[in-house]
Amino acid sequence: MPRSAPPSPAQRQFEGLVTEVSRKLSGFRWVFMPLGLVALIAVGVHAAADVVDDRILWLVDHADALFDSLAGRFQATAPWVELVGLAQRVKIARSVALAWELAADVILCWPALGYRERDARKPVVFETSITSTGGFRQLLRRLRARPTTMRIFRPVAVALIALAGGCAVARMVQGAVYLPTRGFLGDGPAGFLGRVLALVSMAAVLYALGWRAVLRTLQDADTMSDDGAPSRAEALWRGLPATVVVIPLAFAALAGATPLLSFFR
Amino acid sequence: MFKKHGRGLLDFLVAILCLWVAAYHTPAGALARRFGAWALDVKSSARPLLSYYEGGGDDLFMPTTPLQLPPQLAQLHGAVPDGAALGYGAYTAWTQLPAAERAPARDLAIRYGQDGSRLDDPDQGPQALAKVLKAAKADLGTDDAAMLAVMCGYEPARYARDRAQAEGGSGELGLLVRQLPPEFEGRALRAANGLTLATAYGLSWPVSESAPITSGFGMRDHPILGVQKMHTGIDISVPMGTAVHAAAAGTVRRASEDAVNGKVLVIDHGRGVTTAYCHASELLLAPGARVERGMVIARSGSTGRSTGPHLHYQMALADTPVDPLRFRPIRPGSSSEIASGAADGRDGPPPPRPAAPRQRNPKPAPEALR
Repeated sequence: MPRSAPPSPAQRQFEGLVTEVSRKLSGFRWVFMPLGLVALIAVGVHAAADVVDDRILWLVDHADALFDSLAGRFQATAPWVELVGLAQRVKIARSVALAWELAADVILCWPALGYRERDARKPVVFETSITSTGGFRQLLRRLRARPTTMRIFRPVAVALIALAGGCAVARMVQGAVYLPTRGFLGDGPAGFLGRVLALVSMAAVLYALGWRAVLRTLQDADTMSDDGAPSRAEALWRGLPATVVVIPLAFAALAGATPLLSFFR
Repeated sequence: MFKKHGRGLLDFLVAILCLWVAAYHTPAGALARRFGAWALDVKSSARPLLSYYEGGGDDLFMPTTPLQLPPQLAQLHGAVPDGAALGYGAYTAWTQLPAAERAPARDLAIRYGQDGSRLDDPDQGPQALAKVLKAAKADLGTDDAAMLAVMCGYEPARYARDRAQAEGGSGELGLLVRQLPPEFEGRALRAANGLTLATAYGLSWPVSESAPITSGFGMRDHPILGVQKMHTGIDISVPMGTAVHAAAAGTVRRASEDAVNGKVLVIDHGRGVTTAYCHASELLLAPGARVERGMVIARSGSTGRSTGPHLHYQMALADTPVDPLRFRPIRPGSSSEIASGAADGRDGPPPPRPAAPRQRNPKPAPEALR
């Protein structure tokens, strides 16, 4: 097999620069990596919440109509009909949507804030293993042996949310690249550049942060599921309320917030 | 480039990218921006996103006086024709932009072979803008995309339209705006404002225009409770069983009955505009039903907290109740004065018609439908 040509001095200089920058940045990984994970999850959760907020308004409208019809039947409770008006209904619906979104943020971002790497100070060749109870294989083995609600659903939710977040980032990058560059590059090249950078940024987000978010969530779910040596049934039900909060948003993310194909059209 | 030696740099860049998007695309990020702006004493750009959760009304410019409609735009049932309504809505919102940000609309006018300077003329501006919007709609496909082009420029609107189509969505403004980078936030808000006002100007009157208005919008002595209360709509005196027409196309959001509003129908016209019709004797539609402008949707009555047959007609923009008379165009020969004395015997002397300039964004303690 032909051997590749040795790198040129300029290439070596560039690699040296990149390595040096990486080395300098490595001292701050404990800050920017957890923040990056949190930001990715928050963006994904918001994209999913965008999909469900109209449905929340519909539910609040119907709940209020039902309440009004019940309260209006009796003299004593009739004034209660006035408690919630049109403007309040919308505020309630949006408050519910916001509370839901923030609750999902807290549930899914909390493990990400505890993200630590085995040795973030080793700068040149990065040790990217996350400090915890093991890698994907060990965790999946334990998941098969002792499936729990948290072990099954939380990582899936984070995976879908991270995908939605990746799409939102890519969409933002495409617009931010295309619109300022089309003036001097021309429509076709600027469009191509925007599309390519959108796909690259989505791939980079999922490659650098997406899998880490899923692994960290799986680690956290693994630890929580076994904390205090619960019985099998207890472990199964542990974390169920929080999981119920995030699962609909995960499905919403999949159904309405992951326009993957749009970047190819 | 990003081999293992450079992975640290890649991780850093990606983390920064995600933080940037989170700052502009999440309420938590908007709160952080607002706090940062407060701490640094600079103007916050986080309003549009946060105002959505706060109810939205604060950012919406509302005109203080009714439209003085040219005679050629006279139409039955008080509605401004669609194209003209779009022009008036766009013009009203466009003039709220800082002068430096109005250039895209002039460029758009020139693009479609029109005189861009006419847009600045208060008399000709609305109709000139209506023509620009018509041409832009033919080009970009929807009113929403055309309005976005007026506020943000042709290229951003075309890009947003193409991206939205690639996502398989409609040309609805929310989806279009999502495609644009953060610097368009403020102008996109004006586009939403323009569409809301255009929809409001395009509403027709739900009953005969000659029916007397017996109680206006605003604070009043409640005829039954005997206390000062905000009246979030207007009362129109009509005989029992009068056909009530939909003010515009939309979807029935609520059709219910309670002790205060009686039989009530709420129609969502989209673009942040809803109308409500209370105290009906009969509702002809169920929630979720699609209605067209002018369709008979209910029969007037006196159900709920009412002392006589009338229609309580209410209108809300961005979920804030507004005076419907402010959006009822004045045409030569027409009159929409509030009748002196209550035709239905329930409301006592009405407040004067609010033609005088009011607070920019009235924020009564809204008790909608009440």
